Amino acid sequence: MSSHAHAEEKKGIVAALKGLITYNKDIPVLPLVFLGLVLAGIGALTAVIVLWKGHEQMYAVNREIPWGMLIGTYAYFVITSTGLAFIGGLGHAFGFENFAKISRRIVVLATFVLLAGFTQILMEIGHPIRMVIWMMLSPNLKAPILWMGIFYSIELVILALELIIVFKAHPTAKDHKMGAILGFLALVVGTLATSNLGFVFGSLTARPWFHGIHFSTFLVISGITAGAGLLMLVHNIVYKFNVPAELNKTMNALAKLMGGGIGMMMFLYLWKFLTAIFNEPVEEYQAAMALISGPLALNFWVGEMLLAVIIPLVILVTAKGDTKRYGIAGLVFMIGLYFTRVNYIVAGQMPTMRPATDGSGVSAGLDGLAMYSPSIAEWGIFLLGIGTALVLYFAAEKFLDLKTPEHH
Amino acid sequence: MSQKKYGIVLDAKKCLNCKACTVACKFENGVEVGDEQYRIWVAEKELRGTYPTLSLDFEPSQCQHCENTPCATVCPTSATYKTDEGVVLIDYKKCIICKACMTACPYDARFVSEVHHAIEKCTFCYHRLPEGREPACVETCPTKVRVFGDLNDPSSKAAKLVAENDTYRLKPEKNTRPRLFYIK
Repeated sequence: MSSHAHAEEKKGIVAALKGLITYNKDIPVLPLVFLGLVLAGIGALTAVIVLWKGHEQMYAVNREIPWGMLIGTYAYFVITSTGLAFIGGLGHAFGFENFAKISRRIVVLATFVLLAGFTQILMEIGHPIRMVIWMMLSPNLKAPILWMGIFYSIELVILALELIIVFKAHPTAKDHKMGAILGFLALVVGTLATSNLGFVFGSLTARPWFHGIHFSTFLVISGITAGAGLLMLVHNIVYKFNVPAELNKTMNALAKLMGGGIGMMMFLYLWKFLTAIFNEPVEEYQAAMALISGPLALNFWVGEMLLAVIIPLVILVTAKGDTKRYGIAGLVFMIGLYFTRVNYIVAGQMPTMRPATDGSGVSAGLDGLAMYSPSIAEWGIFLLGIGTALVLYFAAEKFLDLKTPEHH
Repeated sequence: MSQKKYGIVLDAKKCLNCKACTVACKFENGVEVGDEQYRIWVAEKELRGTYPTLSLDFEPSQCQHCENTPCATVCPTSATYKTDEGVVLIDYKKCIICKACMTACPYDARFVSEVHHAIEKCTFCYHRLPEGREPACVETCPTKVRVFGDLNDPSSKAAKLVAENDTYRLKPEKNTRPRLFYIK
């Protein structure tokens, strides 16, 4: 390519990028951007202190419960992201026009929520740089965590490519075809990534609460549900709880998807808990009872059951097409789902691997369960994730045009 | 491939709970002071009998150096590996502290070491073996609770103890096939 042609192409790209930037004065999200900046700032400061002092000094995770709130927050974000990508894939690759109509928002949201998740895992893993190096130089192909890294990295690349396609001002037929392929890949890889994240837990024969297929299934289902809920919430925020009529069908489709998702979650809850308490299989029973009537009961009944199942489902069922209510259902669900993620992970580690007798070294409460309560630093890193998602996404809403142009 | 298969046979009935083994282990391996940082332990079992006829047993233990090794299979960077003799070790420089191995170990035998900035656990004092020395916990025990040796060598004391005694292994239901044998 001649230097002249090269310069022309560069100019074209710059012009295209400039063309993307706008200022949407009707979208009232600047307070959320600032809130996000404050939260991310607190989180970044916490991150610096954690890196300075060391994880062991700053985090409350311990020998008995080595995976805590940050793994839960990571799961919360990345699974929601793949749920969004799944819905995007339905629109792009499977002809669900209602979802294709909002594909820009879906892809942007999925990308930034995934990045927010990455902040959590980078601050959770003791040696993130070593991780990148040794996962390449000395990979253990049997390890579910290796595949988690691979799948989520590929997902990020696919989402980045999708971003390029969805932001094309004048997409050609070829672009549409590429969009369909990428949407399909995002759906498949996202589902693999999330079900494999379930297998990170499901592969642990030492931990009966985790072991098995439940988590792989539950994460995919609840991730899609979260994707639908978050999209309804975000549309309500952007349109000041007055979603335009042209998106009513989309909102109704998302509400159905979310309602169906909660229904499937209830189905999975039912059988998970029945198998965990029927005939009291020791450790699984202990974990279930830690949630039902033990140290996690408040988080479980109020956070998980009320906020992530009952209230959003009641709102959706009684909404009768009211998109405002859909937004509220999405908000309540997204708060509750956070408890869902952390509860599950902590509960599975509460039954100790050895009895906490004198000399055993095992630390447990009088009920024989291991104990964990997140430290201030863990809350700070949580804020880093929330802040990152808020800043990136709502800045995109404010300064980019996320309204998907008329499709086809 | 080595034909050796290292293991430890324990006669817990001999244990006095003097904890010399845990101290020796900490000194030998530079394990930091701390409630969570320990490679080996001596757990009190439940008190048996009724007053005044009471008895208390102890269960000294450590990493079981499992043949079917759940901590190694979940390690994404192959930091946890098995030597030819079946000793499960950690390559500290490869460990990313994802803690998957800690959740995968059914024996709670692993912890985060601030000395190595990696996950740590019992190594059977692997560094001593080429010198013909036994693990520190074995060497120091006044009542010789632990006997270390090559389980594949029928003339080794450890192999003989396994052959001559009724033994059990911890958590057989996990199918990890530990290299630690307890005499009944």
